Amino acid sequence: MNQENSHFLYPAALYVSPKPGFIHTILGSCVAVCLYDPVRQMGGMAHYMLPLWNGEGLASPKYGNIAIERLIQKMESYGSQRSQMKAKLFGGGEVIQTQTDYFYIGRRNINTAYELLGDYRIPVVGSSTGGKYGRKIIFDTYSGKVRQRYVRRMDVP
Amino acid sequence: MSDLTDQELIEELKKRFDQNKKSLAEVQKLNEELKEVNKKLEESESLKSHFISNITNEIINPFSSIQGLAESIMSMKEPEWERVKSLVSMIYYEAFHLDFQLRNIFVAARLEAGEIFPEIMHVEVDKLLESVVDTFQYEKEKRGITIDYRFDIHQEGDHPFYFKTDAEKLKLIISNLLSNAIKFSYEGGTVVMRCWMEDEKLHILVKDYGTGISRENQEVIFDRFRKLDSGINSIYRGHGLGLSINKALIDLLKGDIDIQTQEEKGTAFTVTIPENDSEIGDVAFDDNEMFFGDGDMPEEGKEETF
Repeated sequence: MNQENSHFLYPAALYVSPKPGFIHTILGSCVAVCLYDPVRQMGGMAHYMLPLWNGEGLASPKYGNIAIERLIQKMESYGSQRSQMKAKLFGGGEVIQTQTDYFYIGRRNINTAYELLGDYRIPVVGSSTGGKYGRKIIFDTYSGKVRQRYVRRMDVP
Repeated sequence: MSDLTDQELIEELKKRFDQNKKSLAEVQKLNEELKEVNKKLEESESLKSHFISNITNEIINPFSSIQGLAESIMSMKEPEWERVKSLVSMIYYEAFHLDFQLRNIFVAARLEAGEIFPEIMHVEVDKLLESVVDTFQYEKEKRGITIDYRFDIHQEGDHPFYFKTDAEKLKLIISNLLSNAIKFSYEGGTVVMRCWMEDEKLHILVKDYGTGISRENQEVIFDRFRKLDSGINSIYRGHGLGLSINKALIDLLKGDIDIQTQEEKGTAFTVTIPENDSEIGDVAFDDNEMFFGDGDMPEEGKEETF
């Protein structure tokens, strides 16, 4: 892996690489949306923690609805057409948390991604979601391929 | 099914009835939550427009003051040092404010754009906190406030205490807390600041004996653009972003913020931050030992491509 063009994506952040490169991240109940434009051979990723912004705190990409919208906009700002974008989804595991409200957070995160991408008419062409483990992924923004490994650690975001 | 006795049938029906009731209650609860969220989003939108008008006061006014003050220095026929000095300190005060406000606004914008990440380095915490206290020198003198700062981590002369975290973000977090503490203190009051280690986490307390925050307001202080006293005649400067930025930055550093407050008695914020043990700026992908144990992993250790 070329270290120079590699970007580690933190939770609540997003990154679009106009040049070929690798974006990697670690997921628990969080979801990573990878958008790829096969025409321009470029891609970007958003890593969000909760499905919808509820007016609390900052309107940041910590929330799925904001993350996905901003990611699409950022891709567009580099000249990508929405109609050419393809999506891949990862994460949304059932990472055990104490508060019962958050118990289905992984599943809700995933559902949000499918609903919103559907609204934007961006097809989901690959995914690995749910389950009891965390994931480490590397997104090759040039080929659009995503490599994934399961991880055991439970305190991943 | 035909083997079911009447009694069993009744019990089964009862069970299903209860389940229905339960789901109904859940739906009602969700509905209530939705209403609440809706209200919040509406409020957030109106606060946003309020913010834009508020920003005029926060940016244009200090600029006008700076220009005016500079003009009066320039127009002096012969130098009167005492007057120059006092005018310059006013210019400094306005510029400091402006810088602080803009810093917060830019960080908020970067947070909302998802373009901020921790930049971890070895931080000499004592020095950093002292420098934050120093920046409020003029502000505290103006209101006659004493800052009682104590660093409660043992360090020997040549061996200062270092902690791996993001210096700039920690600085902004503490600046925001200190700025609020000074702002909401009564004239001549004291602001207490302490720093200690507990459970391998850095704890920083900023406490004032000022106006305090009411119970209902405690729920909204972390919302963006929220100023508890937002009237046009508000005596408090600021844009209502500080605490929402703090919350997001503390999340980024995987820390916590705790608030203890009582109206008319004061407010104490405690920030807890774990040491960032990851390699600086990055996490290596191939350190399997750290992430793979033994047991029934799905496709253990196997890499898949999508």
